Amino acid sequence: MNGLLIAIKSEIFIALRTFASKLIVAAPALVATAQLLLVRLTEAGQQARDSLLGGSNFEADVANNAYGFFVDSLSTGLTMLGLLLVAQAAYSFSYERDIGSIRHILIRRVSRRSLMSAKLIHLHVLALLSVLLLLVSSYLLSGMLWEYSAIVEDGFELISESEIREEITLGIQLALLPLPAAIAFGLLVSVSAQSATQAVSTALGITLAIDIFKGLLGDLALYLYASFQPSLIDQSYLQSVSRIVRGYSDVLIDDRVLQLNMWVPFPALLVFFAASLWIVQRRKL
Amino acid sequence: MQALSVAGLNKKYGSFAVLDDLNLQIDKGSIHGLVGLNGSGKTTTIECILGLQEFNSGSITALGYPPPQLHLSKGRLVAIFDSPSLHPNLTVRQCLEHALLLCEKPKRSAEDVETLLSISRFRDFKIKNLSLGNKRRASIAQALLGDPEFIVLDEPFNGLDAEGVDDVLELIRTLNRDQGTTFLLCSHQLPYLEQICSHIAILHKGKISHSNTINNLLGNTQTILQLKTAETEAASKVLEAISGAELIDIDTDGYLNIRISGTDSIAINQAMVENKIPVAELILKRASLAGLFREITSEDA
Repeated sequence: MNGLLIAIKSEIFIALRTFASKLIVAAPALVATAQLLLVRLTEAGQQARDSLLGGSNFEADVANNAYGFFVDSLSTGLTMLGLLLVAQAAYSFSYERDIGSIRHILIRRVSRRSLMSAKLIHLHVLALLSVLLLLVSSYLLSGMLWEYSAIVEDGFELISESEIREEITLGIQLALLPLPAAIAFGLLVSVSAQSATQAVSTALGITLAIDIFKGLLGDLALYLYASFQPSLIDQSYLQSVSRIVRGYSDVLIDDRVLQLNMWVPFPALLVFFAASLWIVQRRKL
Repeated sequence: MQALSVAGLNKKYGSFAVLDDLNLQIDKGSIHGLVGLNGSGKTTTIECILGLQEFNSGSITALGYPPPQLHLSKGRLVAIFDSPSLHPNLTVRQCLEHALLLCEKPKRSAEDVETLLSISRFRDFKIKNLSLGNKRRASIAQALLGDPEFIVLDEPFNGLDAEGVDDVLELIRTLNRDQGTTFLLCSHQLPYLEQICSHIAILHKGKISHSNTINNLLGNTQTILQLKTAETEAASKVLEAISGAELIDIDTDGYLNIRISGTDSIAINQAMVENKIPVAELILKRASLAGLFREITSEDA
Protein backbone atom coordinates (compact mmCIF):
# COMPACT_ATOMS: atom_id res chain seq x y z
CA MET A 1 0.00 0.00 0.00
CA ASN A 2 1.50 3.32 -0.94
CA GLY A 3 1.78 6.45 1.16
CA LEU A 4 -1.26 8.16 -0.35
CA LEU A 5 -3.60 5.31 0.58
CA ILE A 6 -2.18 5.18 4.09
CA ALA A 7 -2.63 8.94 4.41
CA ILE A 8 -6.25 8.71 3.20
CA LYS A 9 -6.94 5.91 5.68
CA SER A 10 -5.38 7.99 8.41
CA GLU A 11 -7.50 11.02 7.50
CA ILE A 12 -10.68 8.96 7.47
CA PHE A 13 -9.76 7.30 10.79
CA ILE A 14 -9.46 10.71 12.45
CA ALA A 15 -12.54 12.10 10.69
CA LEU A 16 -14.76 9.26 11.92
CA ARG A 17 -13.72 9.98 15.49
CA THR A 18 -13.86 13.75 15.61
CA PHE A 19 -16.70 16.25 15.63
CA ALA A 20 -15.56 18.67 12.93
CA SER A 21 -16.05 16.25 10.03
CA LYS A 22 -19.52 15.27 11.21
CA LEU A 23 -20.40 18.95 11.46
CA ILE A 24 -19.38 19.57 7.85
CA VAL A 25 -21.49 16.67 6.62
CA ALA A 26 -24.59 17.44 8.67
CA ALA A 27 -24.66 21.20 9.26
CA PRO A 28 -25.64 22.40 5.74
CA ALA A 29 -28.53 19.92 5.60
CA LEU A 30 -29.68 20.89 9.10
CA VAL A 31 -29.59 24.61 8.33
CA ALA A 32 -31.45 24.07 5.05
CA THR A 33 -34.04 21.99 6.89
CA ALA A 34 -34.48 24.69 9.52
CA GLN A 35 -34.91 27.29 6.78
CA LEU A 36 -37.63 25.25 5.02
CA LEU A 37 -39.52 24.67 8.27
CA LEU A 38 -39.34 28.33 9.23
CA VAL A 39 -40.57 29.45 5.80
CA ARG A 40 -43.44 26.97 5.99
CA LEU A 41 -44.39 28.17 9.47
CA THR A 42 -44.28 31.78 8.33
CA GLU A 43 -46.43 30.92 5.32
CA ALA A 44 -48.95 29.09 7.49
CA GLY A 45 -49.25 32.18 9.68
CA GLN A 46 -49.67 34.37 6.62
CA GLN A 47 -52.38 32.10 5.20
CA ALA A 48 -54.24 32.06 8.52
CA ARG A 49 -54.18 35.85 8.64
CA ASP A 50 -55.32 36.14 5.02
CA SER A 51 -58.22 33.75 5.53
CA LEU A 52 -59.33 35.62 8.69
CA LEU A 53 -59.19 38.96 6.86
CA GLY A 54 -60.98 37.46 3.85
CA GLY A 55 -58.13 38.30 1.48
CA SER A 56 -56.49 35.86 -0.89
CA ASN A 57 -52.87 34.97 -1.27
CA PHE A 58 -51.18 36.19 -4.45
CA GLU A 59 -50.38 33.72 -7.16
CA ALA A 60 -50.93 30.81 -4.79
CA ASP A 61 -49.94 28.17 -7.31
CA VAL A 62 -46.59 29.77 -8.04
CA ALA A 63 -45.87 30.63 -4.43
CA ASN A 64 -46.54 27.07 -3.33
CA ASN A 65 -44.27 25.46 -5.90
CA ALA A 66 -41.71 23.37 -4.03
CA TYR A 67 -38.95 23.88 -6.59
CA GLY A 68 -38.32 27.48 -5.54
CA PHE A 69 -38.01 26.54 -1.88
CA PHE A 70 -35.81 23.59 -2.79
CA VAL A 71 -33.40 25.85 -4.66
CA ASP A 72 -33.41 28.42 -1.83
CA SER A 73 -32.55 25.76 0.73
CA LEU A 74 -29.77 24.44 -1.53
CA SER A 75 -28.41 27.93 -1.85
CA THR A 76 -28.36 28.36 1.93
CA GLY A 77 -26.81 24.94 2.48
CA LEU A 78 -24.11 25.43 -0.16
CA THR A 79 -23.26 28.88 1.22
CA MET A 80 -22.69 27.31 4.59
CA LEU A 81 -20.83 24.35 3.12
CA GLY A 82 -18.45 26.66 1.24
CA LEU A 83 -17.53 28.48 4.44
CA LEU A 84 -17.24 25.26 6.45
CA LEU A 85 -14.98 23.65 3.86
CA VAL A 86 -12.66 26.65 3.70
CA ALA A 87 -12.48 26.70 7.50
CA GLN A 88 -11.91 22.95 7.80
CA ALA A 89 -9.29 22.94 5.05
CA ALA A 90 -7.48 25.81 6.77
CA TYR A 91 -7.72 24.00 10.12
CA SER A 92 -6.78 20.50 9.01
CA PHE A 93 -3.07 20.84 8.30
CA SER A 94 -2.29 23.74 10.64
CA TYR A 95 -3.94 22.09 13.64
CA GLU A 96 -2.09 18.82 13.16
CA ARG A 97 1.13 20.79 12.80
CA ASP A 98 0.31 22.69 16.02
CA ILE A 99 -0.21 19.52 18.05
CA GLY A 100 2.69 17.76 16.33
CA SER A 101 0.76 14.68 15.20
CA ILE A 102 1.66 15.36 11.58
CA ARG A 103 5.29 14.58 12.39
CA HIS A 104 4.58 10.91 13.14
CA ILE A 105 2.88 10.23 9.85
CA LEU A 106 5.57 12.06 7.86
CA ILE A 107 8.49 10.31 9.56
CA ARG A 108 6.95 6.84 9.36
CA ARG A 109 5.08 6.32 6.14
CA VAL A 110 3.91 9.28 4.10
CA SER A 111 5.58 11.99 2.03
CA ARG A 112 4.49 15.59 2.43
CA ARG A 113 3.04 15.53 -1.07
CA SER A 114 0.95 12.43 -0.37
CA LEU A 115 -0.26 13.92 2.89
CA MET A 116 -1.50 17.07 1.16
CA SER A 117 -3.14 15.03 -1.59
CA ALA A 118 -4.86 12.87 1.03
CA LYS A 119 -6.18 15.97 2.78
CA LEU A 120 -7.50 17.33 -0.51
CA ILE A 121 -9.22 14.03 -1.32
CA HIS A 122 -10.61 13.65 2.18
CA LEU A 123 -12.12 17.16 2.12
CA HIS A 124 -13.71 16.38 -1.24
CA VAL A 125 -15.26 13.24 0.21
CA LEU A 126 -16.67 15.30 3.08
CA ALA A 127 -18.02 17.84 0.58
CA LEU A 128 -19.61 15.12 -1.52
CA LEU A 129 -21.31 13.51 1.47
CA SER A 130 -22.52 16.87 2.67
CA VAL A 131 -23.94 17.81 -0.75
CA LEU A 132 -25.69 14.44 -1.08
CA LEU A 133 -27.27 14.80 2.35
CA LEU A 134 -28.27 18.37 1.58
CA LEU A 135 -29.84 17.41 -1.77
CA VAL A 136 -31.80 14.48 -0.38
CA SER A 137 -33.04 16.22 2.77
CA SER A 138 -33.97 19.45 0.98
CA TYR A 139 -35.72 17.66 -1.88
CA LEU A 140 -37.74 15.41 0.40
CA LEU A 141 -38.68 18.14 2.87
CA SER A 142 -39.61 20.62 0.12
CA GLY A 143 -41.84 17.94 -1.40
CA MET A 144 -43.47 17.25 1.96
CA LEU A 145 -44.18 20.90 2.74
CA TRP A 146 -45.10 22.10 -0.77
CA GLU A 147 -45.87 20.50 -4.10
CA TYR A 148 -43.49 20.06 -7.05
CA SER A 149 -45.16 21.26 -10.21
CA ALA A 150 -44.67 23.13 -13.48
CA ILE A 151 -45.05 26.92 -13.61
CA VAL A 152 -48.56 27.67 -14.83
CA GLU A 153 -50.10 31.07 -15.35
CA ASP A 154 -53.66 31.65 -16.52
CA GLY A 155 -53.88 27.99 -17.51
CA PHE A 156 -50.75 28.10 -19.65
CA GLU A 157 -47.65 26.12 -18.73
CA LEU A 158 -44.82 28.64 -18.76
CA ILE A 159 -42.05 26.27 -17.68
CA SER A 160 -42.41 22.50 -17.65
CA GLU A 161 -41.12 20.35 -14.79
CA SER A 162 -38.41 18.85 -17.00
CA GLU A 163 -37.18 22.36 -17.89
CA ILE A 164 -37.18 23.31 -14.21
CA ARG A 165 -35.19 20.21 -13.34
CA GLU A 166 -32.69 20.93 -16.09
CA GLU A 167 -32.17 24.46 -14.80
CA ILE A 168 -31.79 23.23 -11.23
CA THR A 169 -29.29 20.57 -12.31
CA LEU A 170 -27.25 23.17 -14.18
CA GLY A 171 -27.45 25.56 -11.22
CA ILE A 172 -26.22 22.87 -8.83
CA GLN A 173 -23.38 21.88 -11.16
CA LEU A 174 -22.22 25.47 -11.52
CA ALA A 175 -22.51 26.08 -7.78
CA LEU A 176 -20.47 22.98 -6.96
CA LEU A 177 -17.63 23.69 -9.39
CA PRO A 178 -15.94 26.36 -7.21
CA LEU A 179 -15.95 24.16 -4.07
CA PRO A 180 -12.71 22.25 -4.93
CA ALA A 181 -10.96 25.60 -5.46
CA ALA A 182 -12.31 26.80 -2.10
CA ILE A 183 -10.91 23.65 -0.45
CA ALA A 184 -7.52 24.15 -2.11
CA PHE A 185 -7.53 27.80 -1.03
CA GLY A 186 -8.14 26.70 2.58
CA LEU A 187 -5.24 24.24 2.34
CA LEU A 188 -2.98 26.94 0.95
CA VAL A 189 -3.77 29.18 3.91
CA SER A 190 -3.33 26.19 6.24
CA VAL A 191 0.23 25.44 5.11
CA SER A 192 1.16 29.13 5.07
CA ALA A 193 -0.20 30.17 8.47
CA GLN A 194 1.72 30.11 11.74
CA SER A 195 -1.10 28.51 13.73
CA ALA A 196 -4.51 26.90 13.31
CA THR A 197 -6.28 29.94 14.75
CA GLN A 198 -4.49 32.22 12.33
CA ALA A 199 -5.23 29.88 9.43
CA VAL A 200 -8.98 29.67 10.07
CA SER A 201 -9.43 33.37 10.74
CA THR A 202 -7.37 34.31 7.66
CA ALA A 203 -9.14 31.88 5.34
CA LEU A 204 -12.61 32.93 6.47
CA GLY A 205 -11.63 36.59 6.53
CA ILE A 206 -10.35 36.52 2.95
CA THR A 207 -13.38 34.53 1.76
CA LEU A 208 -15.79 37.03 3.33
CA ALA A 209 -13.76 39.98 2.07
CA ILE A 210 -13.91 38.62 -1.49
CA ASP A 211 -17.66 38.18 -1.03
CA ILE A 212 -18.08 41.79 0.08
CA PHE A 213 -15.78 43.40 -2.47
CA LYS A 214 -16.53 41.29 -5.55
CA GLY A 215 -19.29 43.76 -6.49
CA LEU A 216 -16.67 46.52 -6.73
CA LEU A 217 -14.40 44.50 -9.00
CA GLY A 218 -16.74 44.58 -11.98
CA ASP A 219 -15.79 42.10 -14.70
CA LEU A 220 -12.60 41.20 -12.86
CA ALA A 221 -14.73 39.39 -10.29
CA LEU A 222 -15.60 36.85 -12.97
CA TYR A 223 -12.04 35.59 -12.80
CA LEU A 224 -12.40 34.80 -9.11
CA TYR A 225 -13.60 31.29 -8.37
CA ALA A 226 -15.46 32.63 -5.32
CA SER A 227 -17.77 34.77 -7.47
CA PHE A 228 -19.57 31.64 -8.63
CA GLN A 229 -20.10 30.13 -5.19
CA PRO A 230 -23.43 30.56 -3.41
CA SER A 231 -22.52 33.08 -0.73
CA LEU A 232 -23.87 35.74 1.60
CA ILE A 233 -23.90 38.28 -1.22
CA ASP A 234 -24.93 35.75 -3.82
CA GLN A 235 -24.10 36.23 -7.48
CA SER A 236 -24.08 32.55 -8.36
CA TYR A 237 -26.20 31.03 -11.09
CA LEU A 238 -28.21 29.19 -8.44
CA GLN A 239 -29.55 32.58 -7.37
CA SER A 240 -30.89 33.08 -10.92
CA VAL A 241 -32.30 29.54 -10.94
CA SER A 242 -34.30 30.40 -7.83
CA ARG A 243 -36.03 33.16 -9.79
CA ILE A 244 -36.40 31.12 -12.98
CA VAL A 245 -38.21 28.25 -11.24
CA ARG A 246 -40.59 30.77 -9.67
CA GLY A 247 -41.62 31.93 -13.09
CA TYR A 248 -39.82 35.26 -13.24
CA SER A 249 -39.15 36.11 -16.87
CA ASP A 250 -36.72 38.98 -16.25
CA VAL A 251 -33.72 36.79 -15.47
CA LEU A 252 -30.79 37.67 -17.72
CA ILE A 253 -28.40 34.85 -18.44
CA ASP A 254 -25.01 35.75 -19.84
CA ASP A 255 -23.41 32.77 -21.61
CA ARG A 256 -19.95 34.25 -21.10
CA VAL A 257 -20.50 34.23 -17.33
CA LEU A 258 -21.63 30.62 -17.48
CA GLN A 259 -18.52 29.71 -19.47
CA LEU A 260 -16.27 31.47 -16.95
CA ASN A 261 -18.16 29.68 -14.16
CA MET A 262 -17.21 26.42 -15.89
CA TRP A 263 -13.55 27.19 -16.50
CA VAL A 264 -12.25 29.56 -13.82
CA PRO A 265 -12.49 27.29 -10.73
CA PHE A 266 -10.37 24.41 -12.07
CA PRO A 267 -7.19 26.42 -12.82
CA ALA A 268 -7.67 28.13 -9.45
CA LEU A 269 -7.72 24.68 -7.81
CA LEU A 270 -4.49 23.70 -9.59
CA VAL A 271 -2.72 26.96 -8.74
CA PHE A 272 -3.71 26.83 -5.06
CA PHE A 273 -2.78 23.18 -4.69
CA ALA A 274 0.55 23.55 -6.49
CA ALA A 275 1.39 26.52 -4.24
CA SER A 276 0.42 24.47 -1.18
CA LEU A 277 2.74 21.65 -2.24
CA TRP A 278 5.58 24.07 -2.90
CA ILE A 279 5.21 25.67 0.53
CA VAL A 280 4.72 22.44 2.44
CA GLN A 281 7.90 20.94 0.96
CA ARG A 282 9.90 23.80 2.44
CA ARG A 283 8.15 24.41 5.74
CA LYS A 284 9.52 23.51 9.13
CA LEU A 285 7.03 21.08 10.64
CA MET B 1 27.02 -0.55 10.52
CA GLN B 2 25.83 2.98 11.07
CA ALA B 3 22.27 3.86 11.95
CA LEU B 4 22.89 7.56 11.48
CA SER B 5 25.53 9.57 9.71
CA VAL B 6 25.59 13.35 9.81
CA ALA B 7 28.43 15.08 7.97
CA GLY B 8 29.19 18.79 7.72
CA LEU B 9 25.70 19.85 8.74
CA ASN B 10 25.12 23.58 8.62
CA LYS B 11 21.93 25.33 9.57
CA LYS B 12 21.37 29.05 9.82
CA TYR B 13 18.43 31.07 11.08
CA GLY B 14 18.98 34.27 9.16
CA SER B 15 22.60 35.18 9.76
CA PHE B 16 22.82 33.16 12.99
CA ALA B 17 24.52 29.79 12.49
CA VAL B 18 22.87 27.29 14.82
CA LEU B 19 24.74 24.30 13.48
CA ASP B 20 28.21 24.82 12.12
CA ASP B 21 29.80 21.84 10.36
CA LEU B 22 28.23 19.32 12.69
CA ASN B 23 29.38 15.72 12.39
CA LEU B 24 27.80 12.80 14.19
CA GLN B 25 27.88 9.06 13.66
CA ILE B 26 25.72 6.58 15.52
CA ASP B 27 26.39 2.87 15.30
CA LYS B 28 23.55 0.40 15.10
CA GLY B 29 22.70 -1.06 18.49
CA SER B 30 24.09 1.86 20.50
CA ILE B 31 22.32 4.19 22.88
CA HIS B 32 23.57 7.61 22.00
CA GLY B 33 22.93 10.66 24.15
CA LEU B 34 22.98 14.15 22.66
CA VAL B 35 23.51 16.87 25.24
CA GLY B 36 23.97 20.59 25.02
CA LEU B 37 23.03 23.88 26.60
CA ASN B 38 19.65 25.50 25.97
CA GLY B 39 19.70 26.88 22.45
CA SER B 40 22.73 24.84 21.46
CA GLY B 41 20.82 23.28 18.55
CA LYS B 42 19.84 19.84 19.84
CA THR B 43 16.24 20.04 18.67
CA THR B 44 17.31 21.64 15.39
CA THR B 45 19.72 18.74 14.84
CA ILE B 46 16.98 16.20 15.51
CA GLU B 47 14.51 18.02 13.29
CA CYS B 48 17.05 18.10 10.45
CA ILE B 49 17.73 14.38 10.90
CA LEU B 50 14.01 13.62 10.82
CA GLY B 51 13.38 15.76 7.75
CA LEU B 52 11.15 18.18 9.62
CA GLN B 53 13.16 21.20 8.57
CA GLU B 54 15.59 21.98 5.82
CA PHE B 55 19.30 22.59 6.39
CA ASN B 56 21.70 24.81 4.50
CA SER B 57 24.39 22.26 3.68
CA GLY B 58 25.77 18.91 4.72
CA SER B 59 24.50 15.38 4.42
CA ILE B 60 22.37 13.17 6.62
CA THR B 61 21.42 9.54 6.24
CA ALA B 62 19.34 7.69 8.78
CA LEU B 63 19.07 3.93 8.20
CA GLY B 64 20.35 4.69 4.70
CA TYR B 65 17.66 7.25 3.87
CA PRO B 66 18.14 11.01 3.45
CA PRO B 67 15.69 13.07 5.55
CA PRO B 68 13.12 13.84 2.81
CA GLN B 69 12.80 10.12 2.07
CA LEU B 70 12.72 8.90 5.64
CA HIS B 71 9.09 7.77 5.21
CA LEU B 72 10.40 5.11 2.80
CA SER B 73 11.94 3.32 5.79
CA LYS B 74 8.32 2.35 6.57
CA GLY B 75 8.43 2.93 10.29
CA ARG B 76 11.89 1.46 10.95
CA LEU B 77 12.72 4.85 12.44
CA VAL B 78 10.31 6.53 14.85
CA ALA B 79 10.55 9.63 16.99
CA ILE B 80 9.07 10.67 20.30
CA PHE B 81 9.03 14.40 20.88
CA ASP B 82 9.17 16.58 23.95
CA SER B 83 5.46 17.37 23.51
CA PRO B 84 3.16 14.33 23.25
CA SER B 85 2.17 15.01 19.58
CA LEU B 86 -1.07 13.04 19.83
CA HIS B 87 -4.60 14.00 18.84
CA PRO B 88 -6.12 15.41 22.05
CA ASN B 89 -9.65 14.30 21.16
CA LEU B 90 -8.79 10.67 20.57
CA THR B 91 -8.63 8.11 23.35
CA VAL B 92 -5.38 6.32 24.14
CA ARG B 93 -6.67 3.19 22.38
CA GLN B 94 -7.74 5.18 19.32
CA CYS B 95 -4.30 6.80 19.13
CA LEU B 96 -2.71 3.38 19.18
CA GLU B 97 -5.13 2.07 16.53
CA HIS B 98 -4.28 5.11 14.41
CA ALA B 99 -0.57 4.42 14.83
CA LEU B 100 -1.20 0.81 13.76
CA LEU B 101 -2.34 2.15 10.38
CA LEU B 102 1.17 3.55 9.95
CA CYS B 103 2.91 0.27 10.71
CA GLU B 104 3.71 -1.99 7.79
CA LYS B 105 3.97 -5.08 9.94
CA PRO B 106 2.84 -4.34 13.49
CA LYS B 107 4.78 -6.55 15.87
CA ARG B 108 2.86 -5.63 18.97
CA SER B 109 -0.85 -5.14 19.53
CA ALA B 110 -2.36 -2.08 21.18
CA GLU B 111 -3.00 -4.20 24.29
CA ASP B 112 0.65 -5.26 24.41
CA VAL B 113 2.04 -1.74 24.44
CA GLU B 114 -0.64 -0.53 26.86
CA THR B 115 0.50 -3.20 29.28
CA LEU B 116 4.17 -2.50 28.57
CA LEU B 117 3.74 1.19 29.39
CA SER B 118 1.25 0.64 32.25
CA ILE B 119 -1.52 2.65 30.60
CA SER B 120 -4.15 -0.09 30.23
CA ARG B 121 -6.44 1.58 32.76
CA PHE B 122 -6.33 4.84 30.80
CA ARG B 123 -7.07 3.32 27.40
CA ASP B 124 -10.54 4.88 27.15
CA PHE B 125 -9.38 8.28 28.37
CA LYS B 126 -9.05 11.05 25.83
CA ILE B 127 -5.48 12.25 25.45
CA LYS B 128 -6.47 15.76 26.55
CA ASN B 129 -7.62 14.36 29.90
CA LEU B 130 -4.35 12.56 30.70
CA SER B 131 -1.52 13.86 32.87
CA LEU B 132 1.66 14.91 31.07
CA GLY B 133 3.42 11.74 32.25
CA ASN B 134 0.68 9.48 30.88
CA LYS B 135 0.57 11.42 27.62
CA ARG B 136 4.26 10.71 27.32
CA ARG B 137 3.68 7.02 28.05
CA ALA B 138 0.98 6.94 25.36
CA SER B 139 3.37 8.65 22.97
CA ILE B 140 6.07 6.06 23.66
CA ALA B 141 3.50 3.26 23.38
CA GLN B 142 2.43 4.26 19.89
CA ALA B 143 6.06 4.48 18.80
CA LEU B 144 6.67 0.88 19.85
CA LEU B 145 3.86 -0.74 17.88
CA GLY B 146 5.88 -1.35 14.75
CA ASP B 147 9.06 -2.72 16.27
CA PRO B 148 11.31 0.14 15.12
CA GLU B 149 15.05 -0.31 14.63
CA PHE B 150 15.96 3.25 15.52
CA ILE B 151 14.16 5.43 18.04
CA VAL B 152 14.83 9.14 18.44
CA LEU B 153 13.67 10.58 21.75
CA ASP B 154 13.64 14.30 22.45
CA GLU B 155 13.51 15.00 26.20
CA PRO B 156 12.03 11.56 27.01
CA PHE B 157 11.96 12.10 30.77
CA ASN B 158 10.01 15.37 30.82
CA GLY B 159 6.88 15.12 32.95
CA LEU B 160 7.57 11.59 34.15
CA ASP B 161 7.51 10.69 37.84
CA ALA B 162 10.32 8.60 39.37
CA GLU B 163 8.54 5.36 38.57
CA GLY B 164 7.91 6.52 35.02
CA VAL B 165 11.57 7.38 34.52
CA ASP B 166 12.59 3.96 35.83
CA ASP B 167 10.09 2.29 33.48
CA VAL B 168 11.37 4.22 30.46
CA LEU B 169 15.01 3.54 31.34
CA GLU B 170 14.26 -0.15 31.75
CA LEU B 171 12.31 -0.20 28.49
CA ILE B 172 15.22 1.38 26.62
CA ARG B 173 17.66 -1.12 28.15
CA THR B 174 15.42 -4.07 27.30
CA LEU B 175 14.77 -3.01 23.70
CA ASN B 176 18.46 -2.30 23.16
CA ARG B 177 19.61 -5.56 24.73
CA ASP B 178 16.96 -7.93 23.33
CA GLN B 179 16.30 -6.43 19.92
CA GLY B 180 19.35 -4.32 19.27
CA THR B 181 17.25 -1.15 18.92
CA THR B 182 19.36 1.94 18.37
CA PHE B 183 18.49 5.04 20.41
CA LEU B 184 19.30 8.71 20.09
CA LEU B 185 18.32 10.43 23.32
CA CYS B 186 18.32 14.19 23.57
CA SER B 187 17.93 15.36 27.15
CA HIS B 188 19.01 17.75 29.87
CA GLN B 189 18.70 14.97 32.46
CA LEU B 190 22.38 14.09 32.46
CA PRO B 191 22.29 11.60 35.35
CA TYR B 192 19.69 9.53 33.49
CA LEU B 193 21.74 9.66 30.29
CA GLU B 194 24.81 8.62 32.26
CA GLN B 195 22.90 5.56 33.48
CA ILE B 196 21.64 4.43 30.13
CA CYS B 197 23.84 5.67 27.28
CA SER B 198 26.70 3.80 25.69
CA HIS B 199 27.83 6.94 23.85
CA ILE B 200 27.53 10.65 24.48
CA ALA B 201 27.86 13.53 22.05
CA ILE B 202 28.18 17.03 23.46
CA LEU B 203 26.82 19.75 21.23
CA HIS B 204 28.46 23.08 21.92
CA LYS B 205 28.56 26.18 19.77
CA GLY B 206 26.98 24.42 16.82
CA LYS B 207 29.49 21.56 16.73
CA ILE B 208 29.87 18.20 18.36
CA SER B 209 32.72 19.13 20.68
CA HIS B 210 33.06 15.66 22.23
CA SER B 211 31.70 12.32 21.07
CA ASN B 212 32.80 9.03 22.49
CA THR B 213 31.76 6.10 24.63
CA ILE B 214 30.71 7.29 28.04
CA ASN B 215 33.56 5.37 29.70
CA ASN B 216 36.16 7.03 27.51
CA LEU B 217 34.69 10.47 28.08
CA LEU B 218 34.53 10.11 31.86
CA GLY B 219 37.87 8.32 31.96
CA ASN B 220 39.56 11.49 30.77
CA THR B 221 38.16 13.59 33.57
CA GLN B 222 39.70 13.87 37.03
CA THR B 223 38.13 12.99 40.33
CA ILE B 224 37.80 15.67 43.00
CA LEU B 225 38.21 14.96 46.70
CA GLN B 226 36.82 17.39 49.27
CA LEU B 227 38.52 17.39 52.63
CA LYS B 228 37.44 19.36 55.69
CA THR B 229 39.74 19.97 58.61
CA ALA B 230 40.39 22.68 61.20
CA GLU B 231 44.11 22.68 60.27
CA THR B 232 43.96 23.76 56.67
CA GLU B 233 47.53 25.07 56.45
CA ALA B 234 49.06 21.86 57.79
CA ALA B 235 46.82 19.81 55.54
CA SER B 236 47.92 21.85 52.54
CA LYS B 237 51.57 21.10 53.30
CA VAL B 238 50.84 17.39 53.61
CA LEU B 239 49.05 17.42 50.27
CA GLU B 240 52.04 19.04 48.59
CA ALA B 241 54.08 15.98 49.54
CA ILE B 242 51.64 13.49 48.02
CA SER B 243 52.24 12.83 44.36
CA GLY B 244 49.03 12.70 42.31
CA ALA B 245 47.19 15.07 44.65
CA GLU B 246 46.85 18.73 43.76
CA LEU B 247 45.11 21.29 45.94
CA ILE B 248 42.83 23.35 43.71
CA ASP B 249 41.41 25.77 46.26
CA ILE B 250 39.88 26.14 49.68
CA ASP B 251 36.22 27.07 49.26
CA THR B 252 34.13 29.38 51.42
CA ASP B 253 32.84 26.46 53.49
CA GLY B 254 36.39 25.52 54.38
CA TYR B 255 36.64 22.49 52.13
CA LEU B 256 39.99 21.76 50.52
CA ASN B 257 39.21 20.81 46.91
CA ILE B 258 41.85 18.33 45.80
CA ARG B 259 42.27 17.03 42.26
CA ILE B 260 43.43 13.42 42.50
CA SER B 261 44.99 11.32 39.80
CA GLY B 262 47.31 8.42 40.43
CA THR B 263 46.38 8.27 44.10
CA ASP B 264 43.17 7.70 46.05
CA SER B 265 41.22 8.95 49.02
CA ILE B 266 42.58 6.19 51.27
CA ALA B 267 46.20 7.33 50.76
CA ILE B 268 45.29 10.95 51.44
CA ASN B 269 43.33 10.05 54.58
CA GLN B 270 46.23 7.89 55.78
CA ALA B 271 48.71 10.75 55.22
CA MET B 272 46.50 13.09 57.27
CA VAL B 273 46.28 10.57 60.09
CA GLU B 274 50.03 10.01 60.08
CA ASN B 275 50.57 13.78 60.34
CA LYS B 276 48.01 13.96 63.15
CA ILE B 277 45.66 16.23 61.23
CA PRO B 278 42.08 15.58 62.32
CA VAL B 279 39.85 15.03 59.29
CA ALA B 280 36.22 16.13 59.82
CA GLU B 281 34.88 15.15 56.38
CA LEU B 282 36.23 13.42 53.29
CA ILE B 283 33.95 13.53 50.23
CA LEU B 284 34.84 11.85 46.98
CA LYS B 285 33.28 13.56 43.97
CA ARG B 286 33.52 11.08 41.15
CA ALA B 287 33.73 12.16 37.54
CA SER B 288 30.22 12.60 36.21
CA LEU B 289 28.66 13.52 32.93
CA ALA B 290 27.24 16.62 34.57
CA GLY B 291 30.71 17.62 35.75
CA LEU B 292 32.26 16.98 32.38
CA PHE B 293 29.46 18.88 30.66
CA ARG B 294 29.88 21.88 32.97
CA GLU B 295 33.61 21.79 32.42
CA ILE B 296 33.29 21.77 28.64
CA THR B 297 30.55 24.34 28.36
CA SER B 298 32.21 26.75 30.80
CA GLU B 299 35.58 26.62 29.00
CA ASP B 300 34.55 29.15 26.37
CA ALA B 301 32.00 31.02 28.43
